[in-house]
Amino acid sequence: MHERLSFYVKRDSIIHGLNPLTKVYLTLALILIIFTSPWYWTPHLLVLIAIIPLGLIGKVGAEFFKTAIRLILPAAGFLFLMQAFFQPLGEDVIFKFYFLDVTQESMMFAFRNAMRVFVMVSAFAFLLLTTHPSELMSDLTRRGLPGQFAYVIISTLQILPQMQAKAQTIIAAQRSRGLDTESSFLKRMGLLIPLIGPLVFGSLAEVEERAIAIEARGFTSKRTRTTLHQIPDTKFDTTLRGVLILLVILSIALNLWLS
Amino acid sequence: MAFVNLQNLTYKYQFTKTPVLQNINLQIQEGEFVSVVGPNGAGKSTLCYALAGFVPHFFKGEISGSIEVAGVESSKSTLDEWVMNVGLAFQNPFNQISGAKYTVFEEIAFGLENTGVPRDEIKVRVDEALRLTDITELADRSPYSLSGGQQQRVALTSILVMQPKLLVLDEPTSQMDPIGTREVFSVIRKMAEGGMTVVMVEHKMEWIANFADRVIALKDGQILLEGKPNEVLTSDLLAENGFGLSRYTSTAREAKKQGLWKKENLPVTLDEAVKGFKK
Repeated sequence: MHERLSFYVKRDSIIHGLNPLTKVYLTLALILIIFTSPWYWTPHLLVLIAIIPLGLIGKVGAEFFKTAIRLILPAAGFLFLMQAFFQPLGEDVIFKFYFLDVTQESMMFAFRNAMRVFVMVSAFAFLLLTTHPSELMSDLTRRGLPGQFAYVIISTLQILPQMQAKAQTIIAAQRSRGLDTESSFLKRMGLLIPLIGPLVFGSLAEVEERAIAIEARGFTSKRTRTTLHQIPDTKFDTTLRGVLILLVILSIALNLWLS
Repeated sequence: MAFVNLQNLTYKYQFTKTPVLQNINLQIQEGEFVSVVGPNGAGKSTLCYALAGFVPHFFKGEISGSIEVAGVESSKSTLDEWVMNVGLAFQNPFNQISGAKYTVFEEIAFGLENTGVPRDEIKVRVDEALRLTDITELADRSPYSLSGGQQQRVALTSILVMQPKLLVLDEPTSQMDPIGTREVFSVIRKMAEGGMTVVMVEHKMEWIANFADRVIALKDGQILLEGKPNEVLTSDLLAENGFGLSRYTSTAREAKKQGLWKKENLPVTLDEAVKGFKK
């Protein structure tokens, strides 16, 4: 019951203290730069000068490397193998694997793409690890995002684990009344039907009550909303966002100029 | 002029055949603590929705008569303004958690944020409300990690913090243990003494008898009986109409038939029963 759909790790670091929007900019800038930079070694370099330092400065190194080893590296590794083997690039064959030729070009190509994926997923991982979802949403609301939209995002993050728990309860209740959950795959697919009914219709009925509850607490009030937590937005944030935008523009410009 | 004034209120939901509320006339004074009792389907919840503005602003249906709170007519107001004066907490605590907040403190602040209360004042008011309902130690917990009774307290606190003039409660203690129930009733009593008007739907007759100023017995959408708790809750009319009586009332009723209960009036609470049987 205590689980929630959030990767946020509460720490006291410079990265945690940044404005949430700055971190979104940082994530998007990293992604745009690795895909637009004309220089081959950009993604590799960024791992060294951005991803690893960010993990250490943000004090989420341990969590980050755990995610990287379990999730990001296997995915990037798989991509690397697929592209190295199946990309029909170049003539310079390094070795043959039955009928598959692995050339130096396809290796280079695959290595870069794997690194791109690694940087991209890592950048998102940082954003999620160091930014509290409700902080991000209230900052965006302050900047003009409709409150209803923010509510939908945050409540979904919270309610999904609750629905998961409820599904478990329904399954347990039905098993205790003799529903077979340990037989063949096809049979278990059939089991989904008695589960989905109560889960979906039950949730729909709850929506009305929840709407009443938040309405009773002024959700649609026309007054200007305030926020409980002050979200930091310093000169440093503004400067950093400016620098990031410039870097992205530079990268795109170089890409266009050199092509 | 009564603070709450219902005149000939009749209401029918879109998909029901008969009216859920029929010709309700009800006046409540400022600072009065009124309790509503009645069997299932009597229209208790609909009455709550009508007072809190959700009938007719949220539920569409046929309405006639008038609902007036603090001199304002409901049909001439909007729901978002109405809820500034009237607070509603209902039975199922799980669905009253906004889902937008990660701690109890933030959850309680939700209504104040929505209605534009300045940040410093929010903190003061939430702290005060947490102390009032005695849940300060839950402030940093996730609202979803709490027990049903604790969640009900959070739901009640979330409404109290908005300082409504009229507080409407639909079975706010249904998942609480006796100690929790007593605390909630005494908090509400305190609020009423401070000038807040309270309408509370409740099944726990002993508690009503101890704390409420007046009881309204609702049956099939009509007011069957109203008056002082001890008179209404012991009346034969209630027993004949399928209302749940307190166990002390039922016992004394049976005892009276056997000639064991000598007093004129039946008891509602344990104390009254003990006194009555002693004599």
